[in-house]
Amino acid sequence: MNEKKQASIGQIWNWKITFACALFLVLVSILAISFGPIHLGFIDIVKTLIGMDGLHGQDRTVLLDLRLPRMLLAALVGCALATSGAVYQTVFRNPLADPYLLGAASGAGLGATIAITNSGGDIYGLLPIFSFLGATLAVLTSFFISGKFFAEPNTLLLSGIAVGSFATAVQTYLQQRHSNALRPVYNWILGELTVANWSIVSWSSIYILSSIAVLISISKKLDGLLLSDEESFSLGIDPNRLRLIAVAAATLATATAVSASGLIGFVGIVVPHLVRGVTHRVTNRSLATIALAGAAFLVLADLGARSVLSPAELPIGVITAFVGAPFFLFVLRSRRVTHS
Amino acid sequence: MIKVSDLTVKLGGQTILNDIELEIPHGHWTCLVGPNGAGKTTFLKALLGVREYSGSLQDNGVEVFRNHKRNVAFVPQHPEIPRGMTVAEYVALGRSKIEGWGNESAESRSFIEEVLIQTQLYGMHQRHVSQLSGGEMQRALIARALAQEPQLILLDEPTSALDLHHQISVLNNIEILKSRGVTVISTMHDITLAAMYAERIVVMHDGKVLLDGAASDVIHSTELRTAFDNRISVYTLDSGRPVIVAAKDEFEN
Repeated sequence: MNEKKQASIGQIWNWKITFACALFLVLVSILAISFGPIHLGFIDIVKTLIGMDGLHGQDRTVLLDLRLPRMLLAALVGCALATSGAVYQTVFRNPLADPYLLGAASGAGLGATIAITNSGGDIYGLLPIFSFLGATLAVLTSFFISGKFFAEPNTLLLSGIAVGSFATAVQTYLQQRHSNALRPVYNWILGELTVANWSIVSWSSIYILSSIAVLISISKKLDGLLLSDEESFSLGIDPNRLRLIAVAAATLATATAVSASGLIGFVGIVVPHLVRGVTHRVTNRSLATIALAGAAFLVLADLGARSVLSPAELPIGVITAFVGAPFFLFVLRSRRVTHS
Repeated sequence: MIKVSDLTVKLGGQTILNDIELEIPHGHWTCLVGPNGAGKTTFLKALLGVREYSGSLQDNGVEVFRNHKRNVAFVPQHPEIPRGMTVAEYVALGRSKIEGWGNESAESRSFIEEVLIQTQLYGMHQRHVSQLSGGEMQRALIARALAQEPQLILLDEPTSALDLHHQISVLNNIEILKSRGVTVISTMHDITLAAMYAERIVVMHDGKVLLDGAASDVIHSTELRTAFDNRISVYTLDSGRPVIVAAKDEFEN
């Protein structure tokens, strides 16, 4: 009798889904590094990666210096944006929250524009650092202005919007003054992974993976933030402390992702809702799965960006919105049907 | 014994609770009554540890109400209802304090099932909490508190906005908790119900305690009438049970 009862409540999160997502990410990654103007064989790729006699010459360079860092960067950025989006949605109890909510996007945009429009472009190489600083400063300013911190999440959201608008205004002013910078700034805003190299992959992986590790370690507790502060306190959570850790880690991941690849929209909203919609679960135990799904989504989107107009490339942001938006609407609709 | 001394809570320059002195016995049901704005909910929040206060709130001589490890369940009047969360998941949150977040054991899951059966939520446990009616939601809150196996439970207006059937069902579930030795402290607008279930009644008015005593004594006291500006009438049924109703204003008569 007891066994029968247990089966009917079951596990709150089915880890098989996480495992399936990890498997899907591996498949998509292999697909992404083998496809392109030069086709690389699967066996050769594996042999090269494990240090056996595989690819040589140009093929080897294409694999190790172009596709592999690019695929890894796509995975890192996708993972960072999806996880941060999911965390922001929980922290602000707002399904429309995305990682750029507190001004991270506009701050990064302003930082990047300053780097691009700088006379002579001699600080162009510092673009990631400038956009990282811009994003972090914007979020800190939002916090500072809101004053009440988390006591009023809506005040924080509004100050994020104000800081974002201000940064965008300054950015537009700079663009108008330096019209030659319009195109590179525009390209950057649409997001690009073409710049990927091992240096970017290595420094961004440090920040992104450590932020994700922190977020996954607190993921189970994040469910408490779906309740009122009094309720979560009675269940053993200090809600403000938890929010602070969550937003700090999510902002670090987002700022890193933005500085490595520009503004790639939609991932932070689509992927979390997709995972929750398909599994019918809102628990943050799904965070690791959302991270893996985000990585797979962006690797796949990048493959699309490289393939659709091959050998030319589409900005990856176009693909994420073009594929993401209809799919997202489909999930929303089917969820509404099952709810009613 | 929970000993409250000199408890004062100020919010935005306003004194919400003023020098409260109170002793709350363990294993009993104590009910706070009084008009809106008397400070009942603030008192519960100070006990929970989420309101800054001066003075002391001691349990057996130890200041405890800012201690996270203490297992105090809280049933709010206006809970935040997580969209998309199922009743089973919602009730399972109650185990977090005992087992750690997200670590339900097999025993925990069967305990949750027992709680769901006890609160008549079994069968609708896969439904979303956002789809529950007011009475069902209140039962889900009580179920979560039962799953928490607390030492102390604080309930803010557990029966407001419920029909009679659901009021009785919720109150009976609270009695089950009490029978397990849990100390119950609640606020309640319906003083008749408070007198039926609680052993002790504390009358509050303007942030102060007017009277604290056995339910039967408090009901017939002048302090209770004072708290409600003499706008209540107390009748006694043949069975000896007191009934409190709102008195009509003089000019209406």
